Amino acid sequence: MILREEESAWQAEGLKATMVSLAKKNLFHDRVRFLVALIGIQFAVVLMTLQIGFLLKFMTNASVLIDHIEADLWITAKNLKNFDFGLPFSEQKLYEVRRAPGVLWAERFLMGFSYWKMPDGGQETIQVIGFNPETRIGAPWDIVEGDLTAVKYFNQIFIDEADRARLGFPRVGDEVEIIGQRARIAGITRGAKSFTGSPFVFTSFKNALKLSFIPPGQTVYILVKVAPGYTVEEVKRHLAETLTGVDAYTKREFSWKSRRYWLLVTGAGIALLSTALLGLLIGTIIVGQTIYASTIDHLREFGTLKAIGASNADLYRIIIAQALIVALIGYATGMLLSRVFLHVARRAGLEAYLPPEVLLAIFGLTVLMCVSASIISIYKITKLDPALVFRS
Amino acid sequence: MSRTVLVLDRVSKVYGEGASTVIAVRDVSLELTEGRFVLLMGPSGSGKTTLLLLMGCLLKPTRGRLFLFEHEVSALDERTLPLLRRRYIGFVFQTFNLFPALTALENVELALNLKGINGRRARRQAAELLARVGLGERLHFLPRDLSGGEKQRVALARALAGDPPILLADEPTGMLDSRTGRQIVELLAELARTENRLVFMVTHDPRVRDLADEVLVMEDGSIVAREHATEETAAASRGERR
Repeated sequence: MILREEESAWQAEGLKATMVSLAKKNLFHDRVRFLVALIGIQFAVVLMTLQIGFLLKFMTNASVLIDHIEADLWITAKNLKNFDFGLPFSEQKLYEVRRAPGVLWAERFLMGFSYWKMPDGGQETIQVIGFNPETRIGAPWDIVEGDLTAVKYFNQIFIDEADRARLGFPRVGDEVEIIGQRARIAGITRGAKSFTGSPFVFTSFKNALKLSFIPPGQTVYILVKVAPGYTVEEVKRHLAETLTGVDAYTKREFSWKSRRYWLLVTGAGIALLSTALLGLLIGTIIVGQTIYASTIDHLREFGTLKAIGASNADLYRIIIAQALIVALIGYATGMLLSRVFLHVARRAGLEAYLPPEVLLAIFGLTVLMCVSASIISIYKITKLDPALVFRS
Repeated sequence: MSRTVLVLDRVSKVYGEGASTVIAVRDVSLELTEGRFVLLMGPSGSGKTTLLLLMGCLLKPTRGRLFLFEHEVSALDERTLPLLRRRYIGFVFQTFNLFPALTALENVELALNLKGINGRRARRQAAELLARVGLGERLHFLPRDLSGGEKQRVALARALAGDPPILLADEPTGMLDSRTGRQIVELLAELARTENRLVFMVTHDPRVRDLADEVLVMEDGSIVAREHATEETAAASRGERR
């Protein structure tokens, strides 16, 4: 009686394919149950995709300017909470920074809240961004319309295309009023949307002082580029030791500090994240319950398979295959639904950020959710009494 | 000379512990040879199904030893037992236990796949087996579209997949009318004699006694009577089938 030698033949790919095929047929045979499982997964996928997408978009918005500006270091007022809450300090610090060893260049950079007069007479809060138009350090990075050199001239401004509706659909060349000052729209940018929702208005540093409440002789940030031969850390350390009344952050530190504030300190991110986790949890419960109910319904068939020679591993393969098939179809259809919801959200001005790696991660989570949901079923199969198949 | 297929040496099966102990099978010793159709009869709760489970290597005996073609199998591990069942044993159940999502052909094909026969070869063999049990015209029917007798024939074809030397049947006529039931039992008897298998069947139906080569009677976990068919009854039975 040679059994071990025969095992390899029996465990061939053919048998695995048979188990997957049986899983598929079992699954599609009971259409109602299959649809319930599918709806559970779609629910989880849509909830995870939307919430994670919004969360990531908020995260990128919270540090959008920091991430796009090529400075290595940011000098800020002492104990600043985040980019949007920038406080002014004396621009004399700029000269101290420029004199410091390891500094290739340093530029003033302004961010100040202001008010935009709407055509209907109302006011809209804006964030005026002031940069040096000669060096263009801190300038918008994606120009849709207009010439950026225009901001050198009196109260010429750029606004973002995403904020046009919010600002009353102004066009290039239109004159607008900001805190009682006339300004002219010189161009349109793309991708510069703030976290706070207040539109960014880009102009020269000089114009920005006039269009915001920052007093003359003050700056809000100093942007620093580290010279070759120096490390960012050592220049930061030197500046932190020599400058008084200000803080120095690397680009990464300041970006994270700004994101962290909005996401963790204010709880906005936690709310989004917990909704995504809730989706995952509810999805797992629905899928688990469905696969378990299906296993119970097919218990006699599993027992029969065991009796006619299937090993426990073969039976697990059926259950896992069922979970993976449901995961795959649920993910694909869930993503299609998500696209519809995202389209609707975009129309309402709510953007999501979903790079390919995040979509892949959501797929991984969906598979994990379905496979972990089938663990109880696998346990049930392990404990299956073979005598079950002999009962009428 | 017929080979010995299955030997039970003082096999017992005890369920539970202490006060709730139940001795389902008590010191049963049997020697069963190929080419024979053996019936196991007895009242409900006498231990017939437990004995069948032990013979089918679906249960391990509490005491005693089980030999399959002179090899002891009662001590084999859980990894080896499925392999043994695939190679040597075919099962026929009272409730057919077909896969509702699979056609008759696919049900048989699945059993062949489990035995390492795949692809077109499996499909061809499955069709041949179904034709052999008289279902050549019902290959692509789902179980729900088959009658009870047809379902049991599919189950029989599935049990024959891979040509196992032992067929174990648990009340295969229990869900069938008497005429269909008798046809199924005749088919089982024929499979034993013409194909030199051991066919061991648990039944309550005394009307099929005449088809058996041997009838075992079980009571309270023990074999209490063993009755061999006389030459005349066996010949009569064979003659009846002719």
